[in-house]
Amino acid sequence: MPPTAALKKKKGRPSQSRVDEGDDLEEWKKSKQLLRPKDQLELTEPELKDIIARQLGTNDPLIPQNLIQFNHAQGAFELIPPTGPMIVVYETQGTQIHKESEEAKKQVEDQGLDPSILEITDSAETIKPDELQNIPEETPGDEETQEEESEKPEVDSEMTEEDTEKETEVGEGEGEGEGEGEGEGDIEGEGGRAEDEEEKHHHGGKPKKLTNQFNFCERAALTYNNPVRVQDTQTTPPPMGTFSANVLQWVIYDAYQEDYAAQQLEKELERERKEKEKAPVSRHQAMTRKLVGKAQLSEAVQGRVLECWKVLERMVNQNTFDDIAKDYRYWEDPSDEFRDEEGTLLPLWKFTYDKTRKNTVTDIEWNPHYYDLFAVCFGFLDFMKPLDEGAVCLFTLKNPSFPEYICMTDSAVMCVDTHPKYPYMVVIGLYDGSVNVYNVQATCKQPAFRSNNVTNKHRGIVWEVKWAPDLPDGEMNFYSVSEDGKINNWVLMQNDLAVTTIITLFLAKDEVFGPDGTKLKMKGCASCVKFHPKQPLIYLVGTEEGNIYKCSTAYSSMFLLTYPAHHMPVYRIDFNRYNSDIFISCSGDWRIKIWEDNRLEPLFVFDVGACVGDVKWAPYSSTVFAAVTNEGKVYVFDLNVNKYKPICVQAIVSKKRNKLTRITFNPIQPIIIVGDDKGCISTLKLSPNLRIPCKAPKKQQHLDQWTLQCMKLDKLLSLVREPATLDIPEDTAESIES
Amino acid sequence: MGDGEGREKQEETKKIIHTYPLIRHSDMPEEMKQEAMELVVTACEKYSTNNEAAAKMIKDEMDKKFGPPFHVVVGEGFGFEISFECTNLLYMFSGGNLAIVVWKC
Repeated sequence: MPPTAALKKKKGRPSQSRVDEGDDLEEWKKSKQLLRPKDQLELTEPELKDIIARQLGTNDPLIPQNLIQFNHAQGAFELIPPTGPMIVVYETQGTQIHKESEEAKKQVEDQGLDPSILEITDSAETIKPDELQNIPEETPGDEETQEEESEKPEVDSEMTEEDTEKETEVGEGEGEGEGEGEGEGDIEGEGGRAEDEEEKHHHGGKPKKLTNQFNFCERAALTYNNPVRVQDTQTTPPPMGTFSANVLQWVIYDAYQEDYAAQQLEKELERERKEKEKAPVSRHQAMTRKLVGKAQLSEAVQGRVLECWKVLERMVNQNTFDDIAKDYRYWEDPSDEFRDEEGTLLPLWKFTYDKTRKNTVTDIEWNPHYYDLFAVCFGFLDFMKPLDEGAVCLFTLKNPSFPEYICMTDSAVMCVDTHPKYPYMVVIGLYDGSVNVYNVQATCKQPAFRSNNVTNKHRGIVWEVKWAPDLPDGEMNFYSVSEDGKINNWVLMQNDLAVTTIITLFLAKDEVFGPDGTKLKMKGCASCVKFHPKQPLIYLVGTEEGNIYKCSTAYSSMFLLTYPAHHMPVYRIDFNRYNSDIFISCSGDWRIKIWEDNRLEPLFVFDVGACVGDVKWAPYSSTVFAAVTNEGKVYVFDLNVNKYKPICVQAIVSKKRNKLTRITFNPIQPIIIVGDDKGCISTLKLSPNLRIPCKAPKKQQHLDQWTLQCMKLDKLLSLVREPATLDIPEDTAESIES
Repeated sequence: MGDGEGREKQEETKKIIHTYPLIRHSDMPEEMKQEAMELVVTACEKYSTNNEAAAKMIKDEMDKKFGPPFHVVVGEGFGFEISFECTNLLYMFSGGNLAIVVWKC
């Protein structure tokens, strides 16, 4: 209370003192009684003496404490912390160090001053004025800067101000330190009067070289530069050439003409080379080439010329063999009317090919598409006289002197088959066990597909090949049977043949000991195969042991049925066209046998007295078939006419020298072709007695030939067949009742 | 070389004008020659009316592919004598009436 009162009075004082100075003093001396305002608090003595400390803080009461701001992250209002009353405008690091620190001492020593100065504390305030003249270069201060002032009185005033401040502010040790520091700074930051300093203060320390502006020198050093040397070199320039020419329109034109001519010449040479390769195919092209000479004919023109030549050749042939041609078409032997149950074969053309004169005809087959085209295989059957070459030729009746297509092979051809849907795809089986597929349209020189000679071939002669129906993917495939006992199915893939063994024919004998002690199963050798016309999975295989196996492509190890057919190799099996349950087989044991499916006993047996090479059913009748024998004879049988004897026996070729090997009926024309072992194919026309059509019974005039033929056959069979079960008929003679 | 023959029948006589690229003289290595030839044909077909643009295109491409200092001349009638770096010369005809010389020097 008293201080407040005193303060109040003090405040009140200056206003009064201005009015009356003298009075104030006297009044102060006079009255010691305190004037109290009326609303002043009345406190007791101890309470009056109670010191109430008032603190001066830095809180600014006017700053609002409840500022808020919307925080979008949290989605709510939040309190902003209040900013302090202090704003930092400028901040800098000071270079002041405590005088009692190590560094300070070191610095003092370096300067050559007496370190005892540092210990003086109060003397900082009592420093002599002339010392104070030395203007501190460095200004101390942690937070505030002070501008350097060069005038002493202001420094003094500053100092005094600071002193007064120190006195008034209680508890600020900082102020003292500041003052001291400043004093020190004054001392230490000396610039000008170094000498004075030295005189007055220092007694110890080293005499130090002064770094003033008047007597210091610059010292520089220069590194050693290596001496520079110039060296040059020149690479050899790349080889240069010169070139000159004149460009004009005629030069360009001439150049093009020349080049074009050169190209044409090259093309011609290329074509000629190709021609040479294709020469064995047909001599027509050779003739064309020679006759026309070096004239450049396009391929199309040459093709047309070829056609002309072909037609011409055929015409010439027709003229030469005019009578034969007429016979082939129109001759019907009139004497047949008088010969009951007998017929004749009229010989027509004979087909041979020069290069295969020595070969045996091993297979003949008519082309399914053209009625006049047939394929002939040239190979050999006589083991003792092997031939290295073989060929398959396609002959046409229109040109008896030369085959239409020739494919030479490097091994004897044993069998052939033409694809029913693609009549230009011809598959052949060779003596060495491989199979080739030719595309006759393309070229006959190279087979389109060939079985690999190492892995994909049969190990024995391929006796028969047959095309099978196309696979669901459209790929063509065929079966081949061979001497090694395997029946393989080959699929024509893009470039290759893929083979799978359908069945391996194992004999029903016991296992035999092989050369090295292992047990071997004996394999049969297949010599012919025939697929069932109605059921594509079933096929019959004839073997060299004389058995006929009925097999299915679905089963690879079992036979469905075994017919103990012959004692010698079975050379041909053929199904009847009208009744596919009936088939015929011929073999080297001189016999021809007719079988019915599922019946182990043959229906008919014919002994012809010589090894039968081939037998075929006639396509126009269900009861006619023909066979050829080694003696050079052709036998034609008609079961309807005579069940025991042939209706025609004819010697086609000379008995001593030639053997007949194969026979085929033409599906449309009434002719047969027969092959022999001298590479010759003979054509024969069947006389009318051999091809008697069925007469429809009066009541059933509307029936067609097919049905009639079937009926005829059925009737025949019923006579021959034994019923499956024999019922003993009732004996009506007995009627004993006893 | 023999790709794209052009035929032109005139009234008096049948004259066949060939437009395929025909190399008259070249000592470039084979693949460089083929590339350059194709480039030339492309350029000439693209800028059939402007020889300068065609030459510029050829030169830029050759520089990029085979090295900077290439020179190209495209024209229908001119004579020339040049020194060139060996294995870097191509002299060819194209389009029936254009001659192109490309060399590095």
